[in-house]
Amino acid sequence: MIFPFESLSGSQRELGLVVAVLIGFGFGFVLERAGFGRANKLVAQFYGNDMAVLKVMFGAVVTAMIGMVVLDGFGLVDMRAVANTATSATFIWPAIAGGFLVGAGFVISGYCPGTSVVAAMSGKLDGIAVVVGVVIGTLVWGELSSVKALADFADSGYLGQIYLYDVLGIPAAVIALFVAAVAIGAFLGAEKLERIIAKDGAPPSPATPKRLVFAGLGAFALVGAATLALPSAPGAKPSAPAAISAGDLARRVLDEPWKVRVLDVRPMEACAQARVPGAECTPPGTLKDLFLADVSAARDLVVVGEGALAELPPEIRAYRGRVFALEEGFAGWKAWALTPPAPPPAGASAEARAEYGLRAGIHSALTGTKAPPPPPAPAAGAAPVKRKAGGGGCSG
Amino acid sequence: MNRDPNRFWNPYLAGVALGLVLLSAYVVMGKGLGASGASFRLGVAAVETVAPAHVAASPGLHGVTAEGSPLDDWLVFEFLGVALGGLVGAYTSGRLSREVLRGPRISAGGRIAFAVGGAILMGIGAKIARGCASGQALSGGGVMNVGSWAFMMAFFGGAYALAWFVRREWR
Repeated sequence: MIFPFESLSGSQRELGLVVAVLIGFGFGFVLERAGFGRANKLVAQFYGNDMAVLKVMFGAVVTAMIGMVVLDGFGLVDMRAVANTATSATFIWPAIAGGFLVGAGFVISGYCPGTSVVAAMSGKLDGIAVVVGVVIGTLVWGELSSVKALADFADSGYLGQIYLYDVLGIPAAVIALFVAAVAIGAFLGAEKLERIIAKDGAPPSPATPKRLVFAGLGAFALVGAATLALPSAPGAKPSAPAAISAGDLARRVLDEPWKVRVLDVRPMEACAQARVPGAECTPPGTLKDLFLADVSAARDLVVVGEGALAELPPEIRAYRGRVFALEEGFAGWKAWALTPPAPPPAGASAEARAEYGLRAGIHSALTGTKAPPPPPAPAAGAAPVKRKAGGGGCSG
Repeated sequence: MNRDPNRFWNPYLAGVALGLVLLSAYVVMGKGLGASGASFRLGVAAVETVAPAHVAASPGLHGVTAEGSPLDDWLVFEFLGVALGGLVGAYTSGRLSREVLRGPRISAGGRIAFAVGGAILMGIGAKIARGCASGQALSGGGVMNVGSWAFMMAFFGGAYALAWFVRREWR
């Protein structure tokens, strides 16, 4: 994949922050030009006389969606991979409850958090009040989340990184075409409503840009759908499967077994003798009985072979979720997890000590024997727990 | 350039323009747009200068300080860009002026009170939902995130549900 430029979040981080300012500039400028720095214009959506919020928001979502589908279709971007870094996992109940609160707060305050910044910079005192209020509100929740019941609610309804094409089981390009059609229908309906409700005559909507935009969205959505017919169709998995190391697999199996499904494709006898904890013994002949093409794609699949797998069986390639192959297969697993690790020398780095602790823990968990404790640390203090960097748009 | 504060872009063209900005964020950075995340980080940074011990002790706050300054983040720089873009946009459109936007039946003070109250509600909601109208509805909606589409429906539901009760603020 050519995009996104990984380096902008890594070695070229400063340049990435400049890009952040530029992209934000575009965001703020367009919001201002759309009239979204003015509370009256925004809330008019909810009284029916000017539905610009629906038109701009839905139009933006559809434009970006079609753009992603087309780029993904031509193999320039991996839509799922971008979505996994750009957006938060789904926690369905908090999303609904929070969405309701944000919507209520929007019509009361007159702005959403983004547009309030534009309003504040245009000199609107109510906009400044909203910017300050949002900061207070997020801090209030930051404090409230020490209450266990509230924090538990915020983590309820976890469904993972899940997308409409996973739930509906149809290609993203087809969904985008459908959403574009729904959007155009909604725009026409909104204009009809505006004409009925606005007493002093609806704001005139020039026909030329409207036709242009509708035709453009429709055309690009069709191009996106047409890429499904390309030989290297979107969603086609790269020939060599993504690899997962024994250490990462062990962590996932122990920490979040509900998010992985381990399939052992070695012969039944070998698998019956010893396997990765929680693995299913599925020799190649039995794979078709798992209906991997039709089951939910919520869990990641990890495929375990005897050694490294050069190619995945077609039944597994049909799975719609993420698929990994265990690096060096079961042989690698045996060497990593079932052989006691050598303790690090005294004075080893914190990472080496943490790595040893993990391996020793996994080894003893899997074999029932306890490894010797590591030599005393040169300096106290555990390595800090690393949070998912970047995260979703607003999730920080 | 002819400055007319009552002239806006055609909403469909504005929608496409906003969509292209969002697409560039996905494609160039692999990220989405956002606002409330930056608000939270700014708030934590403010609290940290006044009461650093409190931030360190509060599980809900110290999450964004664990990796260094809470302001050292893509979202904060993007937020800064939004402010600049809004300022330039308002200046060039003739909409840069000190005023309180409100309906004809409410005082300026009353409007500010509603603005702060609604905004606090919005800040809480954005933290619960892990995003606001930009981070969830726009950025997640564009890549078909299931939670974002649920958020979007609830967002419009919440706004329409409350619209009748606060009509005196606007109409």
